[in-house]
Amino acid sequence: MGGRSRAAAQMLSGMGFGEVYNLKGGMKAWQGLKAEGPIEMGMMYVRGDETPEDIITLAYGMEDGLGDFYASMADLTRDEEVKAVLKSLSQIEDKHKKKLYELYLDLQPETKDRDAFESAIAPDVMEGGFSTKDFIEAHRSDMETVEGVIIVAMMLETQALDLYLRYSHQTKDENTKGILQNIGDEEKAHLEKLGRLMEEKHGHSNLI
Amino acid sequence: MMRWKQFLIPVKNMDTDEARAFIHDHQEGTFTLLDVRQPTEYEKERIPGAKLIPLPELPNRMKELDPEKPLIAY
Repeated sequence: MGGRSRAAAQMLSGMGFGEVYNLKGGMKAWQGLKAEGPIEMGMMYVRGDETPEDIITLAYGMEDGLGDFYASMADLTRDEEVKAVLKSLSQIEDKHKKKLYELYLDLQPETKDRDAFESAIAPDVMEGGFSTKDFIEAHRSDMETVEGVIIVAMMLETQALDLYLRYSHQTKDENTKGILQNIGDEEKAHLEKLGRLMEEKHGHSNLI
Repeated sequence: MMRWKQFLIPVKNMDTDEARAFIHDHQEGTFTLLDVRQPTEYEKERIPGAKLIPLPELPNRMKELDPEKPLIAY
C-alpha cells in the first residue's frame, strides 16, 4: 500500500527529478482537506481541446454560480459574522470574475462588453461542477447552523480548488494555466479563512 | 532489466503536517502533488488538485511531470 509512493519517489529521483518527497503514511495519514468524486467530475464541460477562451468562460460561469450561492446564503444566515464572511467570499468571487473577464479581453479584444461576454456563459454551473440549484437543495438541511454553513462552504471551496487545479493540469496554454493556479491559490486562502472562522466558532480546527 | 539501483535511492519523507505546511507556503504551479494510487482510490478521496498517475503508468507518463519542480508523492 504505502510502498507505492515510495517506489514512485525512487523512480522519479532516479530519472533526475531534483526534489522528491514521499508523503509518510499516504492518504491514510493525511490530516488535511480532501476532495472526492469521479476523475471526470466537473470535466463534463471540458473536452480536452478547449481554447483558453473556453476555459476562461467555464471558470467564469463557476465563479458566478458560487458568488450567487454565497450571496444568497449571506441573506439567509442570521449570524452577523458568518454573514460578513459569506459576503466577503462572494466579493472575492466577483474579483475572480473581473480577472477572468480581463483575461478574456486580452485574448478577444473585439469583445463588445461584459454583457455580451456573459451571454455566452454556461448557465447555472457552480464551482466544483455542481449546479447551484441542485446544490442548495441537497444541502439545505446542513446549512441551518453557523457551523453547517462553514462546513458546506469549505467542502465547496475544496472541490473548487481540486477542479481548478485539475483544469490547470489539462490546459496547455501557459497564461490560462497561470490564471487557474492563481485562482487556486486564492481558493486555498478562502479555505484558511473559513478554517479560522470555524476555529473561532467551534474551538478547534485541523483542516488545513 | 531490473533496475535494482533504483530501490536503493534514499527518499525524503514528509509527514502530513510538513506536507500541509508545504502546500500552504508554496504557490500553485510551483510544485507537483502526485497521486500514484489506482483511479478508484483517487475518486474516493484525494488531496485537492492532486494529479493522478497510477504507479503502473508512471514509467510511460513521466514526461507529464516537471523534473525541476518539487514533487510530493502519495
